[in-house]
Parts: sequence; structure tokens; C-alpha cells
Amino acid sequence: MEPNNQAGVIIAEAVTKVYSDNGVPVEAVRGIDLTIKHGEFTAIVGPSGSGKTTFLNIVSGLDSVTSGRVWLAGRLLSEMSGRELSDFRRDSIGFIFQAYNLIPVLSVEENIEYIMLLQGVGKSERHRRVGRILEKLGLAEFADRVPVKLSGGQQQRVAVARAMVAEPVLVLADEPTANLDSKTGAGLLDMMRELNQTTGMTFVFSTHDRAIMERATRLVTLKDGRVDNDETRD
Amino acid sequence: MITFKVAFRNVLRQKRRTLLTMLTMLGGFTLAAISIAWSDGTYNVIIDMFTRAQLGHIQIHGAGYLDRPTLYNTVDDYAGVGERIGSIEGVVGWSPRLYSAGLASVGEKSAGVRIIGIDPVREIRTTRFDRKIISGRSFAQSGSLEAILGKGLAKALKADVGSEVVLVSQGADGSIANDLYEIVGIIDAGDVTSNQTALYLTLGDAQELLVLHGRVHEIVIIAEDLDDVAPLTATIEETIDRPELTVEPWQEFAKSFYNAMKADQRGIWIMVFIIVLLVSVGVLNTVLMTVLERTREYGVLRAMGVRPLQVIRLVVYEVTVMAVVSVVVGTLLSLVINYLLSLHGVPMPTSFTYGGMEFSRMYTEINARSFIIPAVTVVLSAIAVSVFPAIRAARTAPARAMRTH
Ligand SMILES: Nc1ncnc2c1ncn2[C@@H]1O[C@H](COP(=O)(O)OP(=O)(O)O)[C@@H](O)[C@H]1O
Ligand SMILES: [Mg+2]
Repeated sequence: MEPNNQAGVIIAEAVTKVYSDNGVPVEAVRGIDLTIKHGEFTAIVGPSGSGKTTFLNIVSGLDSVTSGRVWLAGRLLSEMSGRELSDFRRDSIGFIFQAYNLIPVLSVEENIEYIMLLQGVGKSERHRRVGRILEKLGLAEFADRVPVKLSGGQQQRVAVARAMVAEPVLVLADEPTANLDSKTGAGLLDMMRELNQTTGMTFVFSTHDRAIMERATRLVTLKDGRVDNDETRD
Repeated sequence: MITFKVAFRNVLRQKRRTLLTMLTMLGGFTLAAISIAWSDGTYNVIIDMFTRAQLGHIQIHGAGYLDRPTLYNTVDDYAGVGERIGSIEGVVGWSPRLYSAGLASVGEKSAGVRIIGIDPVREIRTTRFDRKIISGRSFAQSGSLEAILGKGLAKALKADVGSEVVLVSQGADGSIANDLYEIVGIIDAGDVTSNQTALYLTLGDAQELLVLHGRVHEIVIIAEDLDDVAPLTATIEETIDRPELTVEPWQEFAKSFYNAMKADQRGIWIMVFIIVLLVSVGVLNTVLMTVLERTREYGVLRAMGVRPLQVIRLVVYEVTVMAVVSVVVGTLLSLVINYLLSLHGVPMPTSFTYGGMEFSRMYTEINARSFIIPAVTVVLSAIAVSVFPAIRAARTAPARAMRTH
């Protein structure tokens, strides 16, 4: 039965993932059912090894499921070809990585513009959007700098800008604050939360930092590859 | 475009490695560009030597003459033909020739000879006939019953300048032709066969002897530039407008020589192979290291939705940029070197003389192919070698971007 796609940006249905570690099967995800709704600001939490990264990789089409089904923005991921998945990620998901992972040879401005260039967005539109997000995230003065000239917190803000600028349906962040000190991390999260509120964009991020998970409006706790607790708050 | 921009800037990331890789390509390119220019220069000297002094660059005959040279297959109104040829740009000179076989006797000695009737004035202008004379002089004037012998023939006949030679042949009318000539010069024609058989008469004397008044068997043409022989042949054919005559470049009438030259030029491909090897090893090493180092970056790009082909392009462009820069720098460098070598040349261990010309230095030839062949080779082998690592980069699992170790 097709789920009602209006109901969720992400719909995960009985998802499992078994890795093989030198022939030994490792059950990283053991049956997760989860629906993430439009505009939610969700934290996936749990101890190290609980399956957070695996789950995020699966719902973003970076990794395949062993069993179960995942719909993202109404598309069943397992039905898409590699090429379709790639284009789909480009157009529908903004990624924020733990290690920032900006393109080192591009300036802040160019990094943010990059995805839109691949999408073929026109020049004036690109510049309008880049200018606006630089302004909004307080990055305007760094526009021409290369990533290595920025602090970790600044780089991660650029990564947020890069993830959001093409207006994806979903922003995914795996441990976005793990490489930042707690104050910078909290600042980044506050900024993401504000963007979530002003734009209505859906955010899903993982963390094992207490102070960070406090800022989420929904807290999904994983334990041994299963959902242990799912609480929504305000 | 953005892919190119990233690739271009990536070139500058590992400056030392990039420099080394580019030096390898530059070295391979320059080496090849000089060797090819060198080889072409040398072959041009040999070809020029072979053609300019004797055979000419272009020859005109009655159709089928070269396959079956008979006394009767002649070029009529050769003067009219020659006049038209003389007016064509790029022609240095033309010279008519008449050929026949005969028996020459000096005193007790006789030998079979190749009678060659020439127009002394034209022959000097086109093939520098005068320079080949090693003893005595050239013809005084037509009708003077003078002969010039190849040095081997003179030796066989024990003849010298001042001796008299009796020549017996057959006239075109079937009559027995014979006459007595005074030997006025001995020449070194350049090759053994000519030296042993050539007996030159003035064209007028030869026509008289063979009863071929106003006719010749061959018109030899020298071009200003060896490289223009092909188009010049076509122009001449068109200008003279004599369908019963064949106009052929040296590649046709000296086919075996031409084929030998071409076979020798295979050495160029050894050069090409060396660059391919140099470039491949250098580039492969660099690209493999680079791809390995940037695995995470490629994973990030793949995660963000950059297509595999775009990742491949990223890697290949980077190498292409290095190759193109190396080729540009290499072209400038080898242009300078080739230019200097084309002016001053390099002395040969031993000089030699051929057809009255002395060769003591070898020069490079400035031509497009000595740059184009290495350029194409460098760029293509660099691209070819980078494709595999590039595919590897494109196959990077995007999930790697997420996992931090
Ligand atoms: N590529 C892999 N091969 C084998 N085992 C893996 C692989 N990736 C993750 N795992 C295992 O799956 C489990 C879940 O890992 P992960 O999703 O990274 O958890 P988390 O992000 O919550 O720390 C861990 O036991 C981990 O060792
Ligand atoms: Mg993790």
C-alpha cells in the first residue's frame, strides 16, 4: 500500500541494514519505521554505533537498504536509478557534514553557488540567492575567502548556506557540531533552528551532544539500530 | 565550466607534484619536437640532394615513357611547354633532356653508355651542372661536338679531357648514327651508376645524332621549396595543358627512393612511443596519488549530487590542463631550439659532397608536424592514463562523505 506522501518528507518503513564486516554480518539498522513531516526540526540521537549515520545515509539515498522501503519527497528511493538518485540528491537534499567538507579551491561564494551551477540556475538568480544567504548567515565579509582561511564554526556556517541555498525539501546533517566547541555548536544550531522557522525547511540532524539535542523540536532516540524513543516537544 | 574551474585550481594545490609532472611532459614533448624536426631536416637534405642535383623535383614525359623508355616517345614542342612552366611561381628552372643508349670508344676501349643530351645553360641553372664538373669545363656552345663523361666511364675508357670519343647509336629514322666528339669535361654525377654510364652531349648534338630534331624525352623541373612540389605539380599540369604528357613529382618517378625515405622515418614513432611512456608513467603516478588523497572530496561531491561523469571530467580536466600548459611551454621552448638549430645546425662528424654540394652540418626543419605529433601524443596519453583513476574517483561511494575517521 502506498503511504500518503503528503504526510511526510521522509517515510521509512521497516528499514534494515546489514553490513558485512569481513564476512561477519553487522546489523546496523534493525527495523526502523519513521515519518518525518514537513517543517520538522528533528534530532536523531543515540550512542555511538546506534545506527544514526547508517539511517541518515539510507534516507538520503547514499546507501541502500537491506530490506524495507524509503520514500523521500514522495519518491520511492529503491525505484530510482543511480543517475536519478544523484540528480535527486542534488535537487532535493542539502547536506551538512561533520567535517564541513567545503570544496577547498573554491571561495565561500563559489562553494555556495556550486550546486546551483550544476542545476543550471541562471546567473542573476544565483547571485541573488547567494547574496541573500550570505547576508542572512552573516557571511558576507567572507565571500571571497577560501575555506582554510575560516574558523571551523565559520566553515560550518558556509556549509549550512551551501546546503540551503538551492532550496531543497530536506536538509540533512550528520553530527554537524561534532568538530565544533560547544558554544560555537550551540550557535550553529540556533541559526539552523531559526532558518527552519523562517523558511519552513525540514531539518534532520544527528548528534550525541545533550546541549544540541535540547534545541530539536522532535527527538528520535536510536538504540542498537532501533527507535528507542520518539518524542515531540516545543 | 565550474568543473573546469575546480580542476584548474586543483592543479595548483600540489605545486611540487604538478611541477614535476609538467616537467616530465615538457621534457617528453621537447625531446620529440626536436628529434622530429631534426629527422625531417636530415631527410629533407637527403631528398634535396637526391633530387635537386640530378633527377629534379618534377619530371614531364610522354605518357608511359618511364615504364617503357623508347626513343620515339618524345615531348614535342618542348620549348613551348618550357616557356609556360618558366612563368609559374615557385619554379626555379626547367631543363630539357634527351636520352638514348650507345657505344662509346676511346682508342682501344669501348663501353656501353647512356647518352644524355642537355641544354647546358638551362641545366646549369636548374641542377647546377657546372658544379659537378671535376675536371675540364662545361660545354662551350651547341653544335661544337663536345662530350662530358661521368668519372667512372672516363676511367673505364682510359679517357681524359682532350681525348676524342666515337659514339655509335641508332637514329630515330632507323639509320646508324655515329660521330666523333671531343671530351671537354669529367663530372661527378653523385651516384655510381651515373658516373659509370653517363655521357653528356649538348641537346643540339644529341638531336642531330639521334635524328630527333626539336624533340626531347624529359623535362626536369626544380621547385623553390621541396614542400610545394605536390601543389606545383598540379599547377604545372594545368598550365601546360598537354594531356598526352605526364607530370610527376619525385615521389612518383623516384618511388623506391621515396619508399626508402618513408620507411626510415618510422624512427619518429619510436620517439612517440618514448613520450607516451614518459608521460604515462609520470601522469599515472600523479593522478593515482591525487585520486587517493581526495577520496573524501569525491565522496562529498557524489553525495551532493555531482554526477559520476562530472567527477571523471574533474580528474581528466586537471591532467589536461597540465598537459596543455606543458605543450604550450614546450612549443615555445622547442621552437626556439629548433629555430637556432635550423640556422646554425650541428656539424656532422664527417662532411661529404654530393652532386657538387658539400654537406657538413645538419639542420632542423621548422614544420608543423614536429610540434603537432608530440602535442597530440602528450595530451592524448595524459588523458588516456588519467581515465582509469578518474573512473575510480567517480565510483567513490558517496556514503564515505558522511563517515569521519
Ligand atoms: N561500512 C560498514 N561496514 C561494516 N560495519 C559498519 C559499516 N558502517 C557502519 N557499520 C557498523 O554499523 C553500526 C552502526 O554504525 P553508525 O551508523 O555509524 O552509527 P552511529 O552513526 O550512530 O555512530 C556500527 O556497529 C558500525 O560499526
Ligand atoms: Mg555516526
